Amino acid sequence: MNRIVDHPILGPLADAEVVHIIVDGVALTARKGEMIAAALIANGKNTFRRTVKRDEPRGIYCGIGRCTDCVMTVNGIPNVRTCVTEVAEGMVIETQLGSGEWQ
Amino acid sequence: MKRVQREIVVIGSGPAGLCAAIEAAQAGAGVLLLDENAKPGGQLFKQIHKFFGSADHRAGVRGLDIGVQLLKQAEDLNIEVWLNSEACGIFDQNSVWVVRDKQHSITVEAQRIIIATGAVENSINFPGWTLPGVMGAGAAQTMINVNRVLPGHRVLMVGSGNVGVIVSYQLLQAGAQVVAIVEAAPTLGGYGVHTAKVRRAGVPFYASHTVKEARGTDHVKSAVLVNLDSNWQPIDGSEFEVEVDTICIATGLTPAVELAFGSGCTPVNSPALGGLVPVHDAGMKSSNESIYVAGDVCGVEEASTAMEEGRIAGLCAAHSLSYLDEAAFSRRFEQLQHNVNALRSGMFGQRRREAKESIVSSYGVHR
Amino acid sequence: MSDETENRDMLICRCEEVTLGEILDAIDDGFVTVKDVKRATRAGMGLCQGRSCSRTIARIISQRTGKPLDEVLPKSYRYPVRPEKMSAALSEESEDESDS
Repeated sequence: MNRIVDHPILGPLADAEVVHIIVDGVALTARKGEMIAAALIANGKNTFRRTVKRDEPRGIYCGIGRCTDCVMTVNGIPNVRTCVTEVAEGMVIETQLGSGEWQ
Repeated sequence: MKRVQREIVVIGSGPAGLCAAIEAAQAGAGVLLLDENAKPGGQLFKQIHKFFGSADHRAGVRGLDIGVQLLKQAEDLNIEVWLNSEACGIFDQNSVWVVRDKQHSITVEAQRIIIATGAVENSINFPGWTLPGVMGAGAAQTMINVNRVLPGHRVLMVGSGNVGVIVSYQLLQAGAQVVAIVEAAPTLGGYGVHTAKVRRAGVPFYASHTVKEARGTDHVKSAVLVNLDSNWQPIDGSEFEVEVDTICIATGLTPAVELAFGSGCTPVNSPALGGLVPVHDAGMKSSNESIYVAGDVCGVEEASTAMEEGRIAGLCAAHSLSYLDEAAFSRRFEQLQHNVNALRSGMFGQRRREAKESIVSSYGVHR
Repeated sequence: MSDETENRDMLICRCEEVTLGEILDAIDDGFVTVKDVKRATRAGMGLCQGRSCSRTIARIISQRTGKPLDEVLPKSYRYPVRPEKMSAALSEESEDESDS
């Protein structure tokens, strides 16, 4: 279980509107207002892209939108920084291979 | 390019920038606050622990609550805020090139500029450091405290400084297990209070140890730790493996100085505060008459010192534009100086105070 | 880190996948500033524009050449300090000013 449902300081996780996203063809649910990276990790997905030269998996690294390791192709647009981009209803998210391609 | 005029432009809306904007606005100046992110507050909103300091410094108040208070103050003062706005350059010490929403450029002609761009986390390198699951301590902190998602369940923390022990404690609060904290130095580096809390929770500390390798194919599965000798060299045969799914790197911060140095602010070396920083005087003015600096960008310390430095910068920038009479200015200036000095006391504060004094005293030489 | 030569295949620049070995070779070939190493290896030219590797490269240069770190760390930066598309650099906002 990756979501922190209760927390000694932050209290219980408040209810949030469900947002439906599609990740590599699989329908998943996310919480309204959360970052794509958080939604993916909450759903057990930690690899967001594979690198150009070595075809190596990458996930989040800096977590604040600066290192660009977490980029994925979102709604056809490559290089979207998932740790600072909010989920949206119907969003299509794909593991980015290399530098990505515009759809 | 489209041009607009503003009296004071503050770049960065973390604790330093927010406080600079608020102080300048309270003095009567017109303020524009910029931030490249979608939300203001910098790293403040993931600090769920209580800050140290006196009652003046809102000791016992959590970072995130301070953030909420500051945002409310800024709102009450009607401070103009541009989010998703990147300051890409400063020309002639007065013109800020801003790109908004990654799409449009605009030039802001500012009489005074306050650079409060913070700092970035350092990395250390070991085979496997690029595997998913290896991340900055700040990344884990954002994930658990802001997003309320656990990035992993068995965590190795690298670095025993304040960030290392505080984030370790917060990982425990979030329900993760912290398998170990490794520290390359022979002694631990964080505040006693936080270190003790983490120890009491049963987390083992390994001083004179570092990560030799992270193992795993698509994700971290284990870490190989190694003992270091008195020359910080790995001791062959001392390696041992721990099962982890997350490795957090907490090995210090480096001031984000691109804009400051790009605009010509003179650098000075301050190893105790993160390396090269823009030199400044007691009023937080840089080597450029119209550019002020505040917070981690001119020396990595804490949110509380960032707030006071921000206030000093805001006050002095506004006063340099003739806001506040001498008496009011002096009174407030002295109060803020007193506050920031009080934050740099005690065993940990001493080193930082000396480092800051050294920067300020070199101001005349370096200009 | 300790014995640099052991980990030649380890990446230093995450974005462009430049290894420690390539960087050490560049330094030994006389590229002894962060800027020069960037030109010789592409380290620092990727999507993050050196945010993740510049300081590490400076440290490696310092260790390899013996030059003090503060002399190797960059002191000047070119604009824009953030990666921007040409279209953003050239495009203006519409005439009605908007905030936030």
